[in-house]
Amino acid sequence: MPYHQFKCSECIPERLQHAVDKGVDEDLTSALPLGYLNTIPGTISERGCAYCGAKHVIGTPMKNVIHLSHGPVGCTYDTWQTKRYISDDGNFQLKYTFASDVKESNVVFGAEKMLKKNIIEAFKAFPQIHNMNIYSTCATALIGDDINAVAEEVMEEMPGKKIFVCNSPGFAGPSQSGGHHKINLQFLNQWVGTGEPEIYSKYVINYIGEYNIQGDQEIMRDYFYRMGIQILATFTGNGRFDDLRCLHKAHLNVLECARSAEYICDELRVRYGIPRMDIDGFGFEATADSLRKIGYFFGIEDKAEQIIAEEYARWKPELDWYAARLQGVKMCLWPGGSKLWHWAHMLKTEIGINVVSVYTKFGHQGDMEKGVSRCEPGALAIDDPNELEGLEAMYELKPDLIMTGKRPGEVAKKIRVPYLNVHGYHNGPYKGFEGWVRLARDIYNCVYSPAHSLVHLDISKDEIPTDKGFVTRQMLSDVNLSDEIKNSTELRECTSDYDPIPRLRKKLEENLYTFPDPETGEWRQVPLEKLKKNKVVDVE
Amino acid sequence: MDKNVAEEKMAQLEWYISKHCLWQYNSRGWDRLIQNERILTKTKQVLRGENAKDDDTTADRYYWSEAMSLAGAFKRYFPWITETSKDDIAQILDLLKERMDFTMVKGSLNQELIKQQY
Ligand code: SF4
Repeated sequence: MPYHQFKCSECIPERLQHAVDKGVDEDLTSALPLGYLNTIPGTISERGCAYCGAKHVIGTPMKNVIHLSHGPVGCTYDTWQTKRYISDDGNFQLKYTFASDVKESNVVFGAEKMLKKNIIEAFKAFPQIHNMNIYSTCATALIGDDINAVAEEVMEEMPGKKIFVCNSPGFAGPSQSGGHHKINLQFLNQWVGTGEPEIYSKYVINYIGEYNIQGDQEIMRDYFYRMGIQILATFTGNGRFDDLRCLHKAHLNVLECARSAEYICDELRVRYGIPRMDIDGFGFEATADSLRKIGYFFGIEDKAEQIIAEEYARWKPELDWYAARLQGVKMCLWPGGSKLWHWAHMLKTEIGINVVSVYTKFGHQGDMEKGVSRCEPGALAIDDPNELEGLEAMYELKPDLIMTGKRPGEVAKKIRVPYLNVHGYHNGPYKGFEGWVRLARDIYNCVYSPAHSLVHLDISKDEIPTDKGFVTRQMLSDVNLSDEIKNSTELRECTSDYDPIPRLRKKLEENLYTFPDPETGEWRQVPLEKLKKNKVVDVE
Repeated sequence: MDKNVAEEKMAQLEWYISKHCLWQYNSRGWDRLIQNERILTKTKQVLRGENAKDDDTTADRYYWSEAMSLAGAFKRYFPWITETSKDDIAQILDLLKERMDFTMVKGSLNQELIKQQY
């Protein structure tokens, strides 16, 4: 096995098996790091806890829900709002966070009474909201509060209110990934199957493992609606609680982030016979292949091809403008769990990026299988890196940028490596055709930022050039470009709006989409209120 | 077809799958074997111009959709496929199935494949 020995981790021998160098003749049977194991004592991991994984990745993107942490206020506050999972109905889930604010006396005497009071208070403070998710934390799990019993009591006393209880305290797994698993299965067990939705199209999907970061879901929703596909529910970005109760009624589960949501897909397949189709919504070719596959499933390949042709014509010349200027740029692709494999190959083939390292904080070996397969020989693959390993890798690999989250991103900046935030995004959405151009533009702005070149000067010892004046990104990026590319009339810079989401929402309001009637197959418009808030009837 | 030639062609198809597909990565070994079997068999049938639909279930339709998409991509990436005889396609795709079963399951280093539950 081509393990990579970090100098800084020589004193932690167990770390050796968590990093490999992918060699030319290596395949998955000879190069794969360990994964999803408890963090080794002595290593400073970048992981989150299982409560955070359940609540902040999967729970809180649900809109029109009061998200209440049953625990000390720090659990919810310190990890709140780290993602930009927006919703199309006012962002209630981002604006407010709730905690029962457990104190010492509650730990001694129990916190159930106080929790009940808090639940009722929260519902009364926001009478328009009828759903609540309650998340247990380390403290309340250890004192043994029966949150489910409290929730049952409140639901009896307040008819019409629905409460989902997520028992995933911080210690319930090696990382946030333990929490993804728990919330998937607990939501399925508690609420899926309790609603009967109105079906208004012949083609019905669930969109799973999609969190609407800066509008990703809304970009993809536009493609699905253009194909006449009803999205019964999105798990969970921009997803309504009531719609999610109907997950069992779709014809197909379209799965984007398998890392965080394959569990619910697998169970829906076993329990309800709904097939699981994994897709990649990032990159032109990957998005096109995904739409094609879904098209085949419903017998509407022609619709998929039409969208692909339109989107290529609109956006490809812009992608190519950046690709011409980003060939050979060295990148460490260091996201959380799934973007290493969603992106590695598309970055290489469509933008010309040389991915020199992939890592995952909380991925399993399955994610590394995908990541190692999709990067090129020579890349360094690291599982659950500690901060010093990240630094050592950057000094060694000398990347032009890293794509990662906020914490390691700030570390990179300190050693003058520019970073793009690929958790909450810089200027997303990054999904679909338009999104991929936006990502290429952000990479370009990051790599060629004239301001960034100044950070390499050390004013305590370097001579500061005083003869250099005005510089633009393009002056830096076009130095070695051929005249043919520089003067091309085909290629152009990104023309996406500053924020493309209002345009997509306006399109939805104008109700330009048509769907085939489930009975007759006749293509017709569906009332806007159904698109925005489908009717769901309670069933036992 | 000579075995070495068939293996070289199979390696091209395997490369495509490793860079573009996700269906081979279901989290349990038994699940991966089913995925390989159903999708690669149907891909072989599509490439040989045979019927690749077994029944009317959504599960079958899913495997067929993956196979249609894969067969289309193989033809786009590897023009030699359209000039390959049906027997040779069968030989190459059978080798591919064997290889995928090995890298994804039998020779896999992924310790989660043998866990009982999802
Ligand atoms: S580890 Fe426990 S105490 Fe810390 S944030 Fe997570 S749930 Fe709260």
